[in-house]
Amino acid sequence: MMLAKKLPAGGLSVAVDIGGTFTDLVAFDESKGRVFQAKSLTTPNELSQGVWDCLKKAGIALGDAENIVHGSTVAINIAIEEKGAKTALVVTKGTRDVYKIGRQNRPEAYNFSFKRPVPLASRANTFEVDERLSASGEVLKPLSTSEVEDIACAIRNSGAEAVAVCFLHSYVDPAHEIEAGKILRRMLPGVYVSLSHEIVREYREYERTSTTVMNAYIGPKTSEYVGRMQDRLGEDGFSGRFLIMQSSGGVMSPAQAKTLPVAMMESGPVGGVIAAAEVGRRLGIKDVIAFDMGGTTAKTSLIQGSAVSIAQGYHIGGYASGHPVMFPVVDIVEVGAGGGSIAWIDQVGALKLGPQSAGSDPGPISYCRGGTQPTVTDANVVLGRIGAKSFLGGEMPLDEAAARKGILERLCPSLGLSVTEVAHGILKIAIAKMALAVRGVSVQRGFDPRDFALVAMGGGGPPHVLAIARDLNIPKVIIPNLPAHFSALGMLMSDVRHDFVRTHYRPLADFDYAEIQAIFAELAATGGAALDEAGVELEARSVEYFMDLRYVGQEFHLQIPVTADEILHGNSVAIRERFNHVHEHRFDHAAPDEPLELINLRLTARGGRPKINFPKLAANATQAQTGSRPIYLDDPSRPVECPVYRRELLGPGMRLRGPCVIEEFGSTTVLFEGDLITIADTGEIIVEVARS
Amino acid sequence: MTAESKSAAKLNPTGLDPVTLEVLRNALPAISDEMSYDLQRTSYNMMIYEIRDYCTALLDTNGALISQNIGGVSHFVADLGVVIRDGIARYGLDGFSPGDVIMHNHQATAGQHLNNVVIYTPVYHENCLVAFAVVRAHWADVGGLSTGFGGTGAYDPWSEGLQVDQLKIYEKGEPDAKILKMIRDNIRYPDAAMGDLRSQLAACRLGERRFCELLDRYSRATVLEVINTIYAETEAKCRAAVADIPDGVYEAEAFVDGARGTMPFEIKVKVTVSGSEMEIDLSGCSSQRDNAGLNSRTYAGAYIAYKALTAPLEPLNEGAFGALKVVIPEGNMMMARFPAFMASWGSALPTVVDTIWRAFAEALPDLIPAAHSGSLGAPFALSGHDPARKAGFVAQSIEAGGWGGRPDRDGEDASMSVCQGDVRNTPIETMELKTPLIVLERALWSDSGGAGKFRGGLGVQTTIKSLVDGRWNAGPPGHRSGYAPWGLRGGKAGVLGYTLIRAPGQDTHELSLSPRVFGQAETEVVYRTSGGGGWGSPLERDPERVLHDVREGYVSAEKARDDYGVVLRADGTAVDSPATLARRAELAREGAH
Repeated sequence: MMLAKKLPAGGLSVAVDIGGTFTDLVAFDESKGRVFQAKSLTTPNELSQGVWDCLKKAGIALGDAENIVHGSTVAINIAIEEKGAKTALVVTKGTRDVYKIGRQNRPEAYNFSFKRPVPLASRANTFEVDERLSASGEVLKPLSTSEVEDIACAIRNSGAEAVAVCFLHSYVDPAHEIEAGKILRRMLPGVYVSLSHEIVREYREYERTSTTVMNAYIGPKTSEYVGRMQDRLGEDGFSGRFLIMQSSGGVMSPAQAKTLPVAMMESGPVGGVIAAAEVGRRLGIKDVIAFDMGGTTAKTSLIQGSAVSIAQGYHIGGYASGHPVMFPVVDIVEVGAGGGSIAWIDQVGALKLGPQSAGSDPGPISYCRGGTQPTVTDANVVLGRIGAKSFLGGEMPLDEAAARKGILERLCPSLGLSVTEVAHGILKIAIAKMALAVRGVSVQRGFDPRDFALVAMGGGGPPHVLAIARDLNIPKVIIPNLPAHFSALGMLMSDVRHDFVRTHYRPLADFDYAEIQAIFAELAATGGAALDEAGVELEARSVEYFMDLRYVGQEFHLQIPVTADEILHGNSVAIRERFNHVHEHRFDHAAPDEPLELINLRLTARGGRPKINFPKLAANATQAQTGSRPIYLDDPSRPVECPVYRRELLGPGMRLRGPCVIEEFGSTTVLFEGDLITIADTGEIIVEVARS
Repeated sequence: MTAESKSAAKLNPTGLDPVTLEVLRNALPAISDEMSYDLQRTSYNMMIYEIRDYCTALLDTNGALISQNIGGVSHFVADLGVVIRDGIARYGLDGFSPGDVIMHNHQATAGQHLNNVVIYTPVYHENCLVAFAVVRAHWADVGGLSTGFGGTGAYDPWSEGLQVDQLKIYEKGEPDAKILKMIRDNIRYPDAAMGDLRSQLAACRLGERRFCELLDRYSRATVLEVINTIYAETEAKCRAAVADIPDGVYEAEAFVDGARGTMPFEIKVKVTVSGSEMEIDLSGCSSQRDNAGLNSRTYAGAYIAYKALTAPLEPLNEGAFGALKVVIPEGNMMMARFPAFMASWGSALPTVVDTIWRAFAEALPDLIPAAHSGSLGAPFALSGHDPARKAGFVAQSIEAGGWGGRPDRDGEDASMSVCQGDVRNTPIETMELKTPLIVLERALWSDSGGAGKFRGGLGVQTTIKSLVDGRWNAGPPGHRSGYAPWGLRGGKAGVLGYTLIRAPGQDTHELSLSPRVFGQAETEVVYRTSGGGGWGSPLERDPERVLHDVREGYVSAEKARDDYGVVLRADGTAVDSPATLARRAELAREGAH
């Protein structure tokens, strides 16, 4: 059901992504075919300053911009630094401690020093209301308004700045939450109120409460931040559309961001995944795996049929002791292997890599900023894969001798290997770890990675992607334009997107399709209102329908796409067949004769936005090679003299053959013997990977 | 082997390339984890998907553990070797064929309750037997009295349920329809069980495929050699941890409930540390008994305690216990001879682990916590027929107790026992959606944590009401209901949990002692789980922290005064410092006498 039409594009689109270390800007002026990029250091004390620094560097006048998409770590920072609002919690009688008790699990099974998540709302600030619904929505005990009014007074006296409300079974019928919300909002002006059904209408009270509390906890500061951005943009002459990036890979209006700040939590890494899907689509390669490598971790995500994979929940602060958030997020598998990951020798003399990272401060030894421990980047420098003289376009020369010395002194003695052998080994371990992550999003989900192209991004993606592709026998690799700015670029390519869920538990055999149609219609109407707010034209809108299904008796469900036609005609046969097929694909077995049951209905409302189109390359330099240098590739004892190309000088249709390296401002692509390179009309490097 | 690893290997004095070694070190646990993920996502009963009562593993052809998932139930730690070695002894290594699937739960070797069904497959690489892929999982029912958590109320293995002794349910890829029908006909929820069997088998097949992919890639000889190296390294790490413990003989004892009206079981442990070696001697524990289901054949108590003390966050393989000697003589409650019924086989283990740790309380003062609730949790179960859905139902949840105070911070509230890692309770909304009951309350139980400088965590109080007639599991929470979780270094004991029941029409709740109770619709059961013990003298607890506990409702003002010697001002908003000084002096004097 992709009805989205691309609207004619024209003016200047700006994306600004505030990350942990850098703030990135990419802007595209379609009418002039111009791409702007800028990078500045993130300013933690006043995050938005990075936006203006970048605008200034890029020379963009806000009055010229038609739209601005913004991604920011503001929400996640508040949660991780525990600097959120003083939050009160209102729940059904008997469930005051559900939030503190949680699921009682200890993922670190043998660790008796384990830590459970620390609640963001105190027990003293948790209030019970004597109301109750049954699982079918029947009112067992009506809500007493006077009781809620008393609670509102107590909350006012407590000085709480935010309130979360989560009643049992409110996903079936939110009437009590709505009523309580009205009273609280009326009696507590200036206090931020979040109601669980406004965020997620799905069963499982602990996870829903945790999500609602998180939303309330980060709500006041995040909405203040968004409001301030709006004001300041307006003051500086911006009159276009301002949109905020979400964890789901979609964008939303500032009004939505203010009520659903929890949707912003994980927006950082997802821009690149969206961009990978879009770049793949334009090149006619619809199945791709996005691979991003930064300083501390590598991230990967699978895209099938140009659609990104979405997970319906995750944990803020890690699974072992973090807070569950039941909200859609681009499904990303992350491993602790980044450019700054430290190589070390453990107590039994084994070579280990990470999870400790030197990050950007002090950084790898070769950065000469005080780092003393050898890292993945140092290994790349020692092997000549990253050019010591040409790093960041020569702006920041790297100290190869220091990196070599670090490896020699810290690692070589216990391993009995030469410096280049150790450096080579560090990279092999890093590659194997990252390959496990790529397997995590593909093989473990029932996909064969050989059917996908690998898209590399981040500063660390292009140097390692070919080795990973060889490890997994992936035949094709794409190095997109601006790989080091890819996350911001992805924000320019994101649709407006809103996801809705409704628990609707019943056997497939008992489906009342009129009822299901009515629920979908209601979700679609809510979605339509959100798209109105984001100013999406009618013809750019589309809706996708899903059902969470399982065999009767199972607990975990699979999210199965269904069509409007199937819902209208009650086509249970087609739905069942699709479920069996997906189950078989994902888990290698299916039980076609077993009855199915529905858990949740899901709907995604999407508003297509004008997409930027990269101009065809004009450059057609006959001489793109800028030199050559010896690089250790397959053999750690013998370097190969490799040509070095400058990416900006590569013209469309140009073909090269590995071994070689291609350098650009923020990254270096390392190619092995036999790799065949073609430059696409729009500048992407397409590699046919040599078989190992 | 690629050119690069060859040249690296050449220069390595041990002959094994450290890089390949590290790559495989990461790859092997990834296989058992993927098997676990697959099983959990496709299983049919709560014991697997919520409670995660299962383990997935690869074992070598000697029955040694190549890798096992970490996450769910810890008392399955490294316990599959005995099953595989028994299978090898029965069939001989030549007696297996590709496509065979073997099923086993027999207590003479498996040593656990019959619900824990092992499914395993031999793994062949180029027609050569190289390993076994194994999945043990808790079935919701295996006949007899086994519905739910295990055969509570049984008196021998035959009344407990169906016994399966190394049976090939598939031979050379062909399912044995007769055996499978026999199993189906003798268990209560055959559809769920066959679904779980399918999931277990699929997880085994996945393990086979992944392991063979590694062998294809790195060569069989290399992988098998690496596995042995990994065993040795893991053992070396554990030895290093033990070497840091002062040499000596450490002893401690505790008790576990016997059957109602009988003597308690004694848990006596003697641990000897000598250099890098440790011996855990459980000979002093009670003998097996006919009248209690606590019998088992397991090293799990010793293994869990040892693993936590040595390398808690490292992956599991055979080397993890290479430097540990466990002594349990035949006929001991944890080395029970067949036939001995084992319905509650795991229930003594949390106390065994707690007691072994306690033995080290003086030697490792900065590490050892006070006792935790010591039980596998309040085992809530309700089964019956749901007239609305016209189907049988089983509702289950585990409600855990508190953990002991630690040398540097309070014990965690309501957390799964030492034997249950990533085990989870069942959400209220899940239970109410699927089964005819209503949860009236799931709350922390105030004042249940033992007082201490670092307070014991609180137990929970969960109240459930049935909406139809049904059979309840309503016994006391676990098997330490007579012996409170102890405090350490002056900390007080946690409060003991118990279970209350109220039949419809009754005014008050009564103590419920029998594990299986039939209850009419509208019966109400309250499960209270024990709080953890306190660590250090409560008189040393910062009065502001006591005030905080009172404000949060974890500790009452009375307890604050009586146990902690902290007196609050009348409005409860601040500590009355002079009164607190006086009260603490008074308590100190009382304590000194």
